[in-house]
Amino acid sequence: METMNKLGRILMVEDDPKDVELTLTALEEYNLANEVVVARDGEQALDYLFCRGEYKMRSSENPAVMLLDLKLPKLDGLEVLKQVKSDGTLRMIPVVVLTSSKEERDMVASYKLGVNAYVVKPVNFHEFVNAIRELGVFWAIINEPPPGSIRK
Amino acid sequence: MTRAKLQSKFARSPVLRYGFAATSCAIALGLALLAQRDDFLNMEAPLFLLAIALTVWYMGIGPAILAVVLSSLAFDFFFTEPRYSFYVKSSEIPHYAVFILFAVLLSWFSMVRQRVEQKLLQSRNELQMEVVKRTEQASLLNLTHDTIFVRDMSDIITYWNRGAEELFGWLVEDAIGRNSDQLLQTDFPIPIEEVRAELLRTGRWEGELRKTKADGSGVVVASRWSLRQDEQGRAVAILETNNDITERKRREQEIQSLNQELVKRSAELEAINKELEAFAYSVSHDLRAPLRHMAGYTELLQQKTSSVIDQKGTHFIAMILDSAKRMGNLIDDLLAFSRIGRAETQNSRVNMDQVVKEALTQVRQETEGRKIAWKIGALPDFYGDPSMLRLVLVNLISNAIKFTRTRAQAEIEIGCSEGNGDYLIVFVRDNGVGFDMKYVNKLFGVFQRLHQSEEFEGTGIGLATVQRIIHRHGGKVWAEGTVDGGATFYFSAPKPPGDLWRP
Repeated sequence: METMNKLGRILMVEDDPKDVELTLTALEEYNLANEVVVARDGEQALDYLFCRGEYKMRSSENPAVMLLDLKLPKLDGLEVLKQVKSDGTLRMIPVVVLTSSKEERDMVASYKLGVNAYVVKPVNFHEFVNAIRELGVFWAIINEPPPGSIRK
Repeated sequence: MTRAKLQSKFARSPVLRYGFAATSCAIALGLALLAQRDDFLNMEAPLFLLAIALTVWYMGIGPAILAVVLSSLAFDFFFTEPRYSFYVKSSEIPHYAVFILFAVLLSWFSMVRQRVEQKLLQSRNELQMEVVKRTEQASLLNLTHDTIFVRDMSDIITYWNRGAEELFGWLVEDAIGRNSDQLLQTDFPIPIEEVRAELLRTGRWEGELRKTKADGSGVVVASRWSLRQDEQGRAVAILETNNDITERKRREQEIQSLNQELVKRSAELEAINKELEAFAYSVSHDLRAPLRHMAGYTELLQQKTSSVIDQKGTHFIAMILDSAKRMGNLIDDLLAFSRIGRAETQNSRVNMDQVVKEALTQVRQETEGRKIAWKIGALPDFYGDPSMLRLVLVNLISNAIKFTRTRAQAEIEIGCSEGNGDYLIVFVRDNGVGFDMKYVNKLFGVFQRLHQSEEFEGTGIGLATVQRIIHRHGGKVWAEGTVDGGATFYFSAPKPPGDLWRP
């Protein structure tokens, strides 16, 4: 159970409940779903990261990784990414863009803003599960998160 | 014979001129002697004076002096007492002196008269010359195509050339004496005071004016004004030259409006392109998401129910998953196809042999377990976007591989033939299942398929993509085939600028 102890918290920013459910299911299969925080739009994600609004009282540790959808209500993913990467502390959080879009300009814009990984959600569920698993395992277990992140 | 002619005839010969003087004096003497003999008294003085007058009149001053001297001597010798001697009796002196005085006065008057007359003649000639010169100049101004007129400082027209007649339709007799701005209803782009001020300051003005012809139609002219000043530097007249630029102006306006139209059209096109892009983006995002959910939940269902579901149920689930996958492929292909239309092409010299090699590498997976006899000819260089041309060849070769699947020994040939002008033709030929020429125009349409999907898989995007890429290169695509007799696909694309065909 040593790996479980080292599991980091995952912040998932995803507006579509089905995607949330499928992603959580995929993470559950590998026991990675325990510490997933879900934000349903860009504003909520920033509220969480900046400890404001409904997340005023949350513990100060930052997530080990953020899975970020691009097409979000209110503030879109690129805007969230921009704000995170221009904040002195938050910029250390690894950000993985997880999106339906294969659009090159989104990819270019994300990398310009300093994204750590860009993953296009595969249509095939099998592949999707594999992708989520690998992401979860890599970022939440293998990768050493920056100081100040949650480790359970 | 006129005096001038006579003078000019004798002028060159002094002998003749002085001879004339001597002869006329001699004739006068003879006549006077005859008159005396016949008792006609006192005829000598008039006769000699007549001789002197004739001489001075016709022969000028030199011979006149000789005539005066000879007449005086003859008068003294023959007609003053004592006769036949040059001695003059004191009582005859007044008589003789009066004669000489008359002779000298006569000569002098004649001489003065002649000089005045000569001067008059000279100025008349000069005047005539001036008139000729001025007339010539005026007719030269008439020759020019340009419109020229002169007006005084109160804008009354004083000169009007033929160009002005032709352009404005007013004849010279209509125009002279009229106010030019009223006659031509001149429309100034800037206040007339400014025009006048500049004219008076610099002596010139230039600008575009709108005027009205005699028939009421408008005309736009490039107008040049020059100020004429007298010796004291006072402005006396304005010379105005006009060139008709109505047609030029019209064309300029036409070009301008065409340009505006073009700008509008490109803006529209850009907007449409943006819309298309937004559409594609939304398709890319929003259409794929539900599809992914369908596939995801179906797979979860499959996992959860695998123990309770029968074979038929398993088959249905497999079909749902298969359709979802197919839909995903269709969306991906359609997006790729729309991206080709929107992508910027980067044209350069393309080594086609290299492109074919790359395309073959890309389709290698599809040839696994197949027996294919490749026949690949040398290809010349093309001019275009290398990655797009590679996509064309990948699609065509992939098709050839796919549709020869039923052959024990597939044959695929890639070659080149000379096109017309600046275009080269590449063909990909196979011995596959071919197609019915009846449906040839359906081949290159989006989602058009000539085979059932159980036979040959595919989304029906490949050839549409080929056609779109080749059209963007300014080339053409076409195909020949027979059912079960193979197919040949051709495309033409530009050769590098300035290249000659090398076989």
